[in-house]
Amino acid sequence: MEIEIQLTDRPIAETILPPGQPGAVGAWLEFRGVVRGEENGQTIRAIEYEAYPEMAGREIRRLLQEISARHPCLAAKVIHRVGVIPVGETAIYVGVASPHRGAAIALLAEFMDRLKQDVPIWKRGARNAGLRPGANWKIAENVPGRRPALQPLSLDEARAEISSRSRPLAAVRTPLAEALGRVLRETICAPEDLPPVDRSTRDGYAIRADDASKNFSVVDTIHAADWKPRQLKSGEAVRVATGAALPCGGLRVVMQEHVKRDGDKLHVVRRENSTNVRLRGEEVRQGQPLVSAGTKLNAGALAILATVGNVNPLVSPRLSIIHFTTGNEIIPPSQTPKPGQIRDSNSILIRSLLQNFPCDVEQGHLPENFEAAMLEIAARKPGIENADVLLVSGGASVGEKDFTRALLEQLGFEIVFSQINLRPGRPLIFGVNGLRVAFGLPGNPLSHFVCFHFAVATALAGLTGGEPPEFLRGQLAEKLDDKPCPRETLWPARLEWRVGQTFLSASSGDFPVACADNANTGQECPANQQTGMSALHPLKWASSGDITCLAAANALVRVPANCASLDDGAKVDFLPVMSMIGGG
Amino acid sequence: MRVLFFAQLKDATGCNAMELATASPLNTPQLWTELVQRFPALAAHRPNVRLARNWEYAAPDAIFADNDEVALLPPVSGG
Repeated sequence: MEIEIQLTDRPIAETILPPGQPGAVGAWLEFRGVVRGEENGQTIRAIEYEAYPEMAGREIRRLLQEISARHPCLAAKVIHRVGVIPVGETAIYVGVASPHRGAAIALLAEFMDRLKQDVPIWKRGARNAGLRPGANWKIAENVPGRRPALQPLSLDEARAEISSRSRPLAAVRTPLAEALGRVLRETICAPEDLPPVDRSTRDGYAIRADDASKNFSVVDTIHAADWKPRQLKSGEAVRVATGAALPCGGLRVVMQEHVKRDGDKLHVVRRENSTNVRLRGEEVRQGQPLVSAGTKLNAGALAILATVGNVNPLVSPRLSIIHFTTGNEIIPPSQTPKPGQIRDSNSILIRSLLQNFPCDVEQGHLPENFEAAMLEIAARKPGIENADVLLVSGGASVGEKDFTRALLEQLGFEIVFSQINLRPGRPLIFGVNGLRVAFGLPGNPLSHFVCFHFAVATALAGLTGGEPPEFLRGQLAEKLDDKPCPRETLWPARLEWRVGQTFLSASSGDFPVACADNANTGQECPANQQTGMSALHPLKWASSGDITCLAAANALVRVPANCASLDDGAKVDFLPVMSMIGGG
Repeated sequence: MRVLFFAQLKDATGCNAMELATASPLNTPQLWTELVQRFPALAAHRPNVRLARNWEYAAPDAIFADNDEVALLPPVSGG
């Protein structure tokens, strides 16, 4: 076949002499790709094209030769314009000559498809279109299955990418009542000793610790809220209530049960070893850190902050999150599905999982048509532009990966990865746009559940400045029966605790420390290790569409790739499932 | 070897070409290591980028030698 290829920065002529020798040619087919004045609902004036000319020419030639082997043609001429091309002008001209029209039509159709996949030419963003920065590069519309193969990441690689790209948002000062679940962004130190003075731990009588007498005179009474400093002399006693501030240092408290009192006279019957005094600074010394930066504030931490009067701590901001479902087969859960339809379970799943993070969640549904979806998104500005996190649940009926990816790219997100070697959850997409992150979640609920815990939660931890979820070490309580899978698996499981049975101590770093008294040797388990053992029961699931296991799952067991099954008692890593109540 | 960047990769690296001097030929992972070391922003693009060697798409097991022209190609959008 005779082939002619041109790349030019000049306008392509209105009339071009078609290729091929008159006489042999039975069909002349011409195609012009013209710059449209509208791109994704926005008016544009021009598009800029860039090429890798040396390679583009070779690639066009290679494609034409390959395709003409199946659809024999006589000649082809391709002219691609580069640089800024105004609306209405030709970006590409293709002319094909063949003996009969069928071959020419088939060759042209396939060539244009392949050109958009393989020829190194790029469409620079629509000029004057008001697109966001970063949205400058138009990605080709995709023929399913034809997209250049993307390199899938491993689970660990994906987590590392998410961690490094989810950076802490600016911290804010928030009243304690709104700080539950926020990540503390400053270390809170004790402003004074705790307790600030010596306090009695008993109802009784305070006397000098160095006073060995048995008989005292009661010189004062101190209630819990009193502050009556005085130096006690030998033979003097002060009536004190539990929690009362002692009048000076160097005292001990005799329990009221151990004295006889008659008016001001006091007779000590018995002394314990304990001084019954909580010493000043015993709990915390002034300046000592109480709650470290990076701590997710739970009820206890908030109580400490209140104790030291830090009522407006510096914390992570409340996240703004937008979640879209896609797919025409999805109907609201309140409706009855017709054949082919399914109820939307992902919206409530995502909303519930997000309860672990202080956030405002807005949810919606996107139509499958790309332009219509962009219009829906445009209608939600500025909510979308202000959102810290964008989540898109893929619909099975959409070419979900490409749809979501194109959508995120159009919104200015740079796609970091679009596939991971994981089961379930392989087609997970992650993108960033400045400090904002986005996920395209594979459509079925089990994949959502898995991807939320290892991926979305990692990003949310990064944005808030908190600790990302980490795998813990545990042990299978029954055999995990599986077929070998070339990908790693996160397997839903039920984590239970066993206490009070003989069990060998687990090696360090395991969670929790598996220990109980050894019935055979009589050896006692150290008190601080008597937490029982983690017993992971794998739950049944056959496909990523299975959802029945979700209600029981409170752990995700990591099953290595190509691992047929794991025996009862095998040590495994697992990710705890979020509690959905309180700070997660 | 000469390494070319196109489209958004120009924005990521701030240049359209560079000379990469190496002691010995590189396989694909080694080449990426070298590139990401110089331009950390490239790491993000790696999953989407196809490599070309001497004006042809490079096979996964390609070896990149000193006198090669290497190009990093983000997803294309011509036509």
